[in-house]
Amino acid sequence: MKRRLTDQPAFWGWLFITPWLAGFLGFTAGPMIASLWLSFYKYDLVTLQYVGLENYRRLPTDPLFWKALSNTFAYAFISVPLGVAGSLLIALLLNQKVRGIPLFRTLFYIPSLVPSVAAAILWQWVFNSENGALNLGLGFLGLPTPQWLQDERFTLPAFVLMSLWGVGGARMVIFLAGLQGISETYYEAARLDGASHRQQFWHVTLPLLSPVMFFNLVLGLIGAFQIFTQAYIMTGGGPNNASLFYALYLFRTAFEQFKLGKASALAWVLFAILMAFTLIQFRASKKWVHYEGGEA
Amino acid sequence: MAWGNPQQFEVERQIVKRFNEQNPDLHVTVFSVPGTSYAQKQIMMLGSRTAPDVMRVDHYFFPNLAAKGHFTDLTPYAKADPDFDPDVYFPTALEECYVDGKLMALNVLFGGVAMYYNKSMFDEAGLDDPWQLHQQGKWTWDRFRQSAIALTRFEGGRPKRFGTTVPQLPAIIACVRGFGGEMIDLEANRSTLDMPGTVAAYQFLADLVWVDRAAPTPAQGANFAFTFESGKVGMVMDFMGMIPRYREVAKGFEWDVAPIPTGPAGGNTVIKGNQLVIPKNCKNPEAAWRFVKYMASRDTERLLYAQIRRCFPTRKDVAYSAEYLQTDQPPYQLQAFVESVENGRILPISERWVEWINALQMETDNLFAGRERSAAVVLRRAKDKIDAILSEDPGF
Repeated sequence: MKRRLTDQPAFWGWLFITPWLAGFLGFTAGPMIASLWLSFYKYDLVTLQYVGLENYRRLPTDPLFWKALSNTFAYAFISVPLGVAGSLLIALLLNQKVRGIPLFRTLFYIPSLVPSVAAAILWQWVFNSENGALNLGLGFLGLPTPQWLQDERFTLPAFVLMSLWGVGGARMVIFLAGLQGISETYYEAARLDGASHRQQFWHVTLPLLSPVMFFNLVLGLIGAFQIFTQAYIMTGGGPNNASLFYALYLFRTAFEQFKLGKASALAWVLFAILMAFTLIQFRASKKWVHYEGGEA
Repeated sequence: MAWGNPQQFEVERQIVKRFNEQNPDLHVTVFSVPGTSYAQKQIMMLGSRTAPDVMRVDHYFFPNLAAKGHFTDLTPYAKADPDFDPDVYFPTALEECYVDGKLMALNVLFGGVAMYYNKSMFDEAGLDDPWQLHQQGKWTWDRFRQSAIALTRFEGGRPKRFGTTVPQLPAIIACVRGFGGEMIDLEANRSTLDMPGTVAAYQFLADLVWVDRAAPTPAQGANFAFTFESGKVGMVMDFMGMIPRYREVAKGFEWDVAPIPTGPAGGNTVIKGNQLVIPKNCKNPEAAWRFVKYMASRDTERLLYAQIRRCFPTRKDVAYSAEYLQTDQPPYQLQAFVESVENGRILPISERWVEWINALQMETDNLFAGRERSAAVVLRRAKDKIDAILSEDPGF
């Protein structure tokens, strides 16, 4: 008997992912290839001139490239560990069996529902050095009241602080799901062996949560490297480029200065950096991520 | 395609409506794009050949876009049109529209920077009226500074109102020229920010903030805490386009306009217009020309400028008419704008304006935010950066 196409499971698989595949090829992979091609050209929407690797060669001589890169690194490597730790802490708290827990979960999740532009405008007010909530509070406690968004020494800390606003969001929910996926039998066994709460956390919860942690770290780092909206709305990259993040610099190069070749090169450099970091994380993960049922 | 605040845009809508009534064979639809993303939108539309038949372009971008060949040369249409006479316009109004001797646009929303001042605040502080001082030839930057200091009020260490604000770049350039400086030498393609007059002007403006405390620091001015229309700032320098907005929202005090102060090197203000252009992709340039010409016609200018005062007329007959110069609403001293156009000079805007201005502002932000107190140091750094940009091949 001849096998029909519709008998093959693979056919159905491909069929069902076709909408996604079409979207990916048309709107993600296509533009990516186009931008790779553009990065070898000088292009301002009117004239197109092949320049080989010149766009890439010139990047290291551009002081703003380094400034944007170092800002972004600093932001990512401070905000991601803090944010992941914060999300984990909240997830642990919200995993307790106390009354009204659905209410608390909702309350902590709400900030992440605020659109990022609205949140940025809100935080602009919070950080206002004359009348902002933060400085009023600090002043009340007799602490120094910095000019958060106008003083270049405090701009990056302000952005990190603001990033913690999202600790109760999707990342926390993933942690919570991870926590609830840990079987009670492990804790029971640990308790029988006389483990304290702290020991249970370090030796049961953390190892079993490590795949979730790993996932959150990888995504968190990728997300942090792409920070854009907040800086675009709140400071426009200032003061003195203290909040010029990589994605903002890329946007400006492309859509304010119309150096589309250079911007494409910037994008591919960011892609390479993110790939490298993700690979490093995957390598390192073998040392600390434990998969249940796996051998390591 | 146009931009502007609601009051400004409404004026253009009315004018287009009249054009449609007078020209039943054509129908123009005007649409607005937010000012903050206008520059992106216009170049995207021009680059993708989807631009509207007529668009308004700020002069900041015009030389650059014209050099890239985005616009239709209007010279043949102007020559063939018996109604079009270049001599009825102020020479400065057409100066911006010529590129290599070709007429590439007609100016609309044109005018010089002048100084808006809160007359009630001046009276209350017992200060001399800037317009009267100007007529006596005594309205100088020194006098301006004294007034700004006298108008400023602090209560318990917190600012309640300021004499003035650090102006936007066009007015800064007017100040620079008043002190005998220049920003750039377009012929030699190099920055002239190290000229003594330029340094003196920037130092003067920065000192208003950090020495005299008569203008808000960036932190004090954040989130629009001090604006002219709220009555918390005594003097601001801006283009004439602010009039419809101030008329609507500046309530509870009397205000007027005066020319910007004079400096050691005189008192030339800066003028700038917007250009109405016909993009290259326009399918019917004859019809588009009719609309462009209508926008610069006497009837339109009378409505746009004399009645609604959106900006300054480009036509001399409208500017000098009693209808334009007499008004029962502030500002009363419209002569200030006439003088600005007669005496003012256009801004040094070339193809690479946006690039070098960005570099300049990055440096001068440090000056106005008080991170660096010496204008000479800041401008030296800016000059080096700008010269590097100008000597570089554009596009990288």
